[in-house]
Amino acid sequence: MNIPVVNLGAILPAIMLSLFGIAIMVAEPFVSDAKKSWLGWLAIAGTIAAMLALAPMSRQAGQWYTNLWIVDSYSIFFHFLFILIAAITILTSMNFLQREGIHHTEYYALLLFATVGMMMMAGSNELIMVFLGLEILSIATYVLAGFRRTDLKSNESAMKYFLLGSFSSAFFLYGVALIFGATGSTNLIVIADSLRSGDPQTSLVSLAAALMLIGLCFKVAVAPFHVWAPDVYEGAPTPVTGFMSVGPKAAGFAVLLRIFMTAFPTLEDRWTSVFWIVAALTMLIGNVIALVQPNIKRMLAYSSIAHAGYIAVAVAAGSEHGVSAVLFYTLAYSVTNLGAFAVVTMLSRSEDKLVNLNDYAGLASKRPGLAAVLSLFMLSLAGVPGTAGFAGKFFIFKAAVQSGLIWLAVIGVITTVVSFYYYLYVIVQMYMRDPNEEFADVRTTGPLKLALAITIAGTLYLGILPTRFLDWTVSAAVNALR
Amino acid sequence: MLELALFYIFGTIAVVSAILVITQHNVVHSAIFLAGTLLSVAGIFLALNAEFLAGVQVIVYVGGILVLFVFVIMLIAVERSTFERQFNRQWKIALITSAILIGELVYVVYQGRDTFVLAEPAVPLVQGAAGNSQQVGMGLYTTYLLPFEIASILLLVAIVGAVVLAKKKTQTE
Amino acid sequence: MDVITANILTIIAFTPAAGAVLILFFNRAHVRSIRSFAFIITLLTFVFSLHLVTYFDSSVAEFQFAVNVPWIPSLGVNYELGVDGISLYLVLLATVLTPLAMLASWSIASRAKEYFIFMLLLETGMIGVFVSLDLFLFYVFWEVMLVPMYFLIGVWGGERRIYAAMKFVLYTMIGSVLMLVAIIALYFLHGSATGTFTFSYPQIMAALASNSLVIAPGMERALFLAFFLAFAIKVPLFPFHTWLPDAHVEAPTAGSVLLAGVLLKMGTYGLVRFSLPLFPHQSQLFAPMISFLAVAGIIYGALVAMVQPDLKKLVAYSSVSHLGFIVLGIFSFTTQGMEGAIYQMLSHGVSTGALFLLVGMIYERRHTRLIDDFGGLAHKMPVYAAFFLIVTLSSIGLPGLNGFVGEFLILLGTFGVSRSFAVFAALGVILSAVYMLWMYQRTFWGEVTHEPNQTLRDMNRREYAMLVPLLALIVWMGMYSNHFLRPMDASVAKLINQVQSRDVQVADQNSR
Repeated sequence: MNIPVVNLGAILPAIMLSLFGIAIMVAEPFVSDAKKSWLGWLAIAGTIAAMLALAPMSRQAGQWYTNLWIVDSYSIFFHFLFILIAAITILTSMNFLQREGIHHTEYYALLLFATVGMMMMAGSNELIMVFLGLEILSIATYVLAGFRRTDLKSNESAMKYFLLGSFSSAFFLYGVALIFGATGSTNLIVIADSLRSGDPQTSLVSLAAALMLIGLCFKVAVAPFHVWAPDVYEGAPTPVTGFMSVGPKAAGFAVLLRIFMTAFPTLEDRWTSVFWIVAALTMLIGNVIALVQPNIKRMLAYSSIAHAGYIAVAVAAGSEHGVSAVLFYTLAYSVTNLGAFAVVTMLSRSEDKLVNLNDYAGLASKRPGLAAVLSLFMLSLAGVPGTAGFAGKFFIFKAAVQSGLIWLAVIGVITTVVSFYYYLYVIVQMYMRDPNEEFADVRTTGPLKLALAITIAGTLYLGILPTRFLDWTVSAAVNALR
Repeated sequence: MLELALFYIFGTIAVVSAILVITQHNVVHSAIFLAGTLLSVAGIFLALNAEFLAGVQVIVYVGGILVLFVFVIMLIAVERSTFERQFNRQWKIALITSAILIGELVYVVYQGRDTFVLAEPAVPLVQGAAGNSQQVGMGLYTTYLLPFEIASILLLVAIVGAVVLAKKKTQTE
Repeated sequence: MDVITANILTIIAFTPAAGAVLILFFNRAHVRSIRSFAFIITLLTFVFSLHLVTYFDSSVAEFQFAVNVPWIPSLGVNYELGVDGISLYLVLLATVLTPLAMLASWSIASRAKEYFIFMLLLETGMIGVFVSLDLFLFYVFWEVMLVPMYFLIGVWGGERRIYAAMKFVLYTMIGSVLMLVAIIALYFLHGSATGTFTFSYPQIMAALASNSLVIAPGMERALFLAFFLAFAIKVPLFPFHTWLPDAHVEAPTAGSVLLAGVLLKMGTYGLVRFSLPLFPHQSQLFAPMISFLAVAGIIYGALVAMVQPDLKKLVAYSSVSHLGFIVLGIFSFTTQGMEGAIYQMLSHGVSTGALFLLVGMIYERRHTRLIDDFGGLAHKMPVYAAFFLIVTLSSIGLPGLNGFVGEFLILLGTFGVSRSFAVFAALGVILSAVYMLWMYQRTFWGEVTHEPNQTLRDMNRREYAMLVPLLALIVWMGMYSNHFLRPMDASVAKLINQVQSRDVQVADQNSR
C-alpha cells in the first residue's frame, strides 16, 4: 500500500483560509460583543496569509495528489483573483454587518470556506474534485444569501438559489458520471487522451459534455440559464450579492475553460458554436432587460448576466487569446463590480432597503466623492477607455475577431452601446436630479475606504497600464493549454 | 439473465414508489414510499456487484436521512401538509417540458446505443485489495486522499450553514 | 530645449489633465480661484501650442514632433503622437477656443469644481484625438472625450439636457464601436500579412503603400463603412445629424463653443486622416453618394435654420450646413477642395465659436434665446451689435473675412469634379446669407419693442477679452490666408498623392 506524497505547499492558500475560517469560529466565544469586528480583521489576516502563501505554492508547479491537483500559472492566477475577491468582500461587509445587526462569525467563516471551494474548482485536474469545490462554494453561498433571516426577500433568495443550484449540480454530476462511463476515468488529462486515441464515442461524450455545460452555465448565469439571478441578487444582503456576482462567475468560467480546453479539445468545434449562441443570447437579454430595472441590485444583476455574455464570447473564441481574454476580463470585472457593490452597500441603509435608483437622486450634490467613485465604476462597467472594463472588452473583442467571430464582436459592441444607457442612467440620477434627502447617515468607515481604494486603483491601473496583468494572463493561458 | 430480471423488478418498484411519493396526500405515506425507492436503488446496486454502495445507501440514506425526514414530519408537518397544494399550478406545462426532456434523452440514448460499452468488471483501484469496501477504503486514503480531506470542509460548511439558518433568534437580532 | 521639443505634444495634450487633477485639491467653495486656475492652465496650454507653430517646418509633409513609446507591447499598442500640416492648426483651434470657453464659464456657480475639471479633461481629449497616430490611442481619446461632454451637457445644460446628453452619447457611440471592430480587423489583417501586429497608423499606411498588405475589396468596403459611420455621425453628415441640434441647444455656452468649434471637426479630421488614405478606392467609389449627402445637408441645414425661432438652434443648423461644405471639399479629391475643407474647419470653428459666445452673452442678460424677444438691440448694445455683424458676415462668407476663403476653395475644387454639386452648394451660400441676415435684422435693427431690452448693458471687459481674439482671427484668416494655408500644402499634397496612387494600386489589385 503506497501512501501518496502529501505536498502541503501545493494547497497552502486553501489550507490557510480553512485554518483561519476555523480560527474565526473558535475565537468567537473569546471576543466580546463590542469587539466583534476583530473577527473581520482576523478574516482579512487570513486572506493576507493566503495571498502570501501563493509564493510557496507557485514553486510547486506540476500535478500533485495522484494527478488530482494541478499547480500552474492558470490556477495561481485564479487563486489570486479569489483571494482578492474575498478580501474586498470582507472589507465591504465589516461595517454592513454591524449596521444590520447580523451575526459576524459564521458570515466570515462561510465566506472564507466559499473561497476555499472556489480554489478547489480552479486547481482541480479531476472532475470529482471540481464537484466538491463546486458544492462547497454553492452551499456556503446559499447560506450567505439567506443570512438576513428576518427578511423575506433574503429567505426567498436563498431558497431559489438553493433549489436551482442543487438542480444544476445534479446536472453536472450526471455529466461526470456519463463521462466516467465513456472513458473510464474522471481525470481531465486521462479523459482527453482516451478521447483522442480510442473510439471517440461522440454521442455519449457529447451528452456528458452538454450536461456538464448546463450545470456550469447555471452557475455563471448565462442565458438561457440566467432566470434565477435577478431575484437571488436582489434578495441577498448587498455585500453577498457583490460576492455572488463575481466569485462563482469567475470560478465557473475557470472550471468551464479547464474542462473544455483540457478534456474535450476533440469536441471543440461543437461547443464553440454552442457558446456562440449562448454569448449572443446572453448579451442581448442581459443588456436589454437591464434597461427597465428600477432597482440598482436587479440592474447590476442583469448587467452581470450581460458581462457573463461577454466572457462567453471569449470562451467561444477559444485558444490562447480567448482564454487570456477570459482571465483578464474576470479580473477587471471583479474589481469594478465589487467596487460598485461597495458603494451600493454604503448607501443601502435602513435594513438594506434603499436600493432603488430613485434613492440615488442628487447624490452628487451632497456626497460628491461617493458619486464620483460610483460614476467611475459605472463607466468602467460600460466600457469607457481608460478603465479596466474597456481594456477587458477590448481584449475579448480582439480575441473574437482573431478567431473569425466578427458578427459576434459586432453584436457585442452594439449591446455595449445599449448598456451605456442604463449605466449612464445611474449617473443621471446622481448628478442631474435634485436630492430627496441629506445622505447624512452614510458613513465611510476605514475598511470600506480601503476596499474602495483597492477597487479604484485596480480599475484605473488595469485600464491604463494593463501590460503586466495582460502578460500574466497570456502566459497562464498558454500554460493551461499545453 | 438474472441481473436483467432483477434490474427490471427493482427499477419498476423504484419508479412506481417515486411517483407515489409525489402523488400521495399523506406526508408519512410519501416518506414510506421514498424509503421504498431508496431501498430498490440499493437493490440495483447489489445486482451490479456494488455491495459497499448498497450498504451505504441503506445505512446513510434510509437509516439516516429518511429517518430524519420522518422525525421532522412528525414534529411539524403532519397537520400542515393536509392544507398544502399537492401540485404546482403549472403542472401541465411542467409535464410537457419533462416529456420533451425525456424524449430528447431517449433519442440521444437510442442514437448512441452502439457506443454504450457493457460494464466490465472494474479494474481494482488499489492492488491487493479484495472486495468492494476494502477497495473504497484503500482508495480513499491513497489515490483520493485530497478529496477525502476536502469533503470535511464541505461537511463543516453544511453544518455551520444549517445551524446558522435554523437556530433560534438570539438577543442581538 | 530639445527635451521640450521632443515631448511638446505630450505636454500640450496633458497639461489640461494635470490641471484637472490639481483642481481636485481645491476647496469647492473657492469658485473664483478654481476659475482663475483653470483659465491659467488653458492659457498655458495655448502658449505651449505656440511652440508648435513656431517650430513647424512647412516644407515637410511627414509627421513632426513625433513621440513613439511602447505602451502595451504584447498588443502592439504604442503611445505614438505626431502632427502634420493637417492637424497642426486643429490643435491650435482647440487650444485657442478653450481659454475663451473658460472665460465664458465665469457665471457657473453650482458645482464649479466639477465643471472645470470636466472642461480640462475635455481639452485633453480633444487635443489627444488630433495628435494620436496609433489607432488604439486615437480610439481611446475619441471615446474619452465623450464622458466630460456628457457631464457638461447633462449637469449644466438647459431644460432638456438629460435627453440631449444621452442622445449625444448613444449616437456617437454606435458609430465609434463599429469603428473599434474595424480597427481590430485592420490590426489583424496587417499582422497576418506582415508578421508585425501593430496599431500604428504610419506603419499600416506604409504596409498598404508598399503592397505588403492587400485588403480584399469586400473587406475594404466593410472597413470603410465602419470608419465612415463613426465619422459621419460626428461631423454630422445628413442624415446622421439629428443629435446635433439638441446637444448644441441644451449645452452650456462653453460646451456649445467647444462642441461646434472643435468636436465636430474631429469627424472631418477622421475622414481626412483615416478614411481617405486607408481606403482610397472605396472613398472614390462612395464619393458621389457622400457628396450628395453633403449637399443635401447644406441645403437642408440652411432651410431649417431659416425657420428657427431660437437663436441657438439656428446656429446649430447653420453648423450642419457649413459642415456639409467641408465634407464636400474633402470628397472632391482636389488640392483646392481639400485645403478649402481644412481651412473651413478652422474658420468655422472660429466663427461659430464666436457666434455661440455672442448668443451666450445675450442669454446671460435676458435668459431667453427667442428671436422674437429681441429687436432693436443695436440701439442699446452698439458694440455688441457690431461684433455680431462681423461674425455674421464671416459665417456667410463675405470676401475679406475667413469664411470666404474656405468656401471659395471648396467650390472651386468641387466645380472641377461635378458642376451640379457645386451649383447646389453655392445655393447653400445664398441661403446662409438669407437666414443669417434675416436673423440679424430681426434681432438688432428696428425699434426696441420689448421692455426688458431697454435696460441692456453693452459688453464688459471679460466679453471683450473673449471676442477680440476671435475677431482678430476672423480678419487675419480672411486677409492673410496664405499664412494658414502654407503649412498645409505639403501634407495635403502628400495626402492627395497617396489617395490617387493608392487608388490606382487598389484598382489594379481588384482587376487581377
